[in-house]
Amino acid sequence: MTLNLRIWRQKDSHAEGAIESYELPGVSSDMSFLEMLDILNEQLIGKGEEPVSFDHDCREGVCGSCGAMVNGQVHGPDTETTLCQLHMRRFKDGDTLQVEPWRSAAFPVLKDLVVDRSSFDRIQQAGGYVSVATGSPPDANSVPIPKDDAEAAFDYAECIGCGGCVAACPNGAAMLFTAAKVAHLKKLPQGQPERERRVLSMVDTMDKEGFGACTNHYECTAACPKGVPIDAIATMNREYLRATFFSKEGV
Amino acid sequence: MLSWIERFVSSSVGRKALMALTGLMLIGFLIAHLAGNLSLFAGDGGTAFDAYAHAISSLPILPIAEVALALLFLGHIYLAVKTTRENRRARPQGYSVTGTHGEKSFASKTMFPTGVVILAFLIKHLWDFRLQKEAFEEAPYASVQQALSDPLTASVYMLGILALGIHLSHAFGSALQSLGANHPKYTPALRAIGKVLAVALTLGFISIPIYFWLGGSSS
Ligand code: HEM
Ligand code: FES
Repeated sequence: MTLNLRIWRQKDSHAEGAIESYELPGVSSDMSFLEMLDILNEQLIGKGEEPVSFDHDCREGVCGSCGAMVNGQVHGPDTETTLCQLHMRRFKDGDTLQVEPWRSAAFPVLKDLVVDRSSFDRIQQAGGYVSVATGSPPDANSVPIPKDDAEAAFDYAECIGCGGCVAACPNGAAMLFTAAKVAHLKKLPQGQPERERRVLSMVDTMDKEGFGACTNHYECTAACPKGVPIDAIATMNREYLRATFFSKEGV
Repeated sequence: MLSWIERFVSSSVGRKALMALTGLMLIGFLIAHLAGNLSLFAGDGGTAFDAYAHAISSLPILPIAEVALALLFLGHIYLAVKTTRENRRARPQGYSVTGTHGEKSFASKTMFPTGVVILAFLIKHLWDFRLQKEAFEEAPYASVQQALSDPLTASVYMLGILALGIHLSHAFGSALQSLGANHPKYTPALRAIGKVLAVALTLGFISIPIYFWLGGSSS
């Protein structure tokens, strides 16, 4: 099939970007979206032009590196699918695809479709961890965890940090990402010692990085390639109220 | 002020919790307000409504209640403006094409505009019945009848109430989530109750200008 691609091109973080149009013939329906971009880049390189930069690593939907808006939809039209797992059979000959990077004050564009997501790392560093004694690994199952709790914790832990929730949110909020960490560790005994400090400090950092505030559109969870459930955000809100009013943190 | 309180009110999560709290209290006020106003429909030429209006205006606690209500409104509006501004700042550059995965709704996307329409209506409403207090208290029913028999006033009221209905259809469920109230057993039912409440309040309030526009009990 032949596609009309309209892709955001931006030289570096200081340059003004713009949408550029490319006609790409010979796209196979078996290609992934990233493979389609690879073909485009081969053509661009052949013509002596600058290839389109995009993030990618595993190309099997587990690492969270890839991502772009396709016709205004995070990771394209499919549900629970990363851009690398989106396949061109989803589109038909002659389609126009508008491809843009995530847009957020906290995710500055570095080049073309590549954005700087280190703000996520700083939120993570603010409390998305547990303190454990180092040394030899503990016996498996030495800390019993009810199966339901383990499964719920895993639903939150599935977050791959791609940033799609921020991109999908009309407010540019990072609540689903942050809440996934808070809700995940709250479910587990290992997460208890830092429970109050974690939520206060992660929300503080999230605000400082310039993300917006949730007004409950629920677009994030619909766009999330891992389907992280929206109740994570309610849990984070509850944890935040609990830590503020019922703990000694911040006295 | 204590630092933990400052931290709470300036955080995104704390601000949203306060917005939800003020919003829910305003919904509580709306329910009471509508319940009282339904006496307009008694069909007794206004006796029931006049008695109700006089009972309210002779309540010794009324000045305090009015201040509290004004603070709820001002608080909610202040938080709404601040949150909306910060949310716009969080996405300085928008998308050239906007799409969806299907969750955001017309109501959720228009909370600020509907809020502004509600505020404009509220100012008109206060002008009609609160700032011209003497005229209202002398003949409550007659002044409602007079104000709402004017098609322009009645249209402004209907528009304001429709905006309120759209605002409320998102507001109740949103407030629960903002306060962290989410439970698989209750949330679906509570969200449904929120929608029913929004429809009931809208129909209840909008029936008043329609009734008087059509001539009220005098026709
Ligand atoms: C009787 C009048 C009003 C009622 C009952 C009401 C109620 C509510 C409720 C319950 C929420 C949900 C809060 C949350 O999820 O945290 C809300 C949100 C909001 N309100 Fe109002 N409100 C009213 C008037 C206004 C006015 C006058 C404005 C602005 C000028 C406004 C602007 C907003 C905005 C921007 C939101 C944020 C959307 C969201 O978080 O869901 N509201 N309102
Ligand atoms: S490249 Fe790893 S998730 Fe897409």
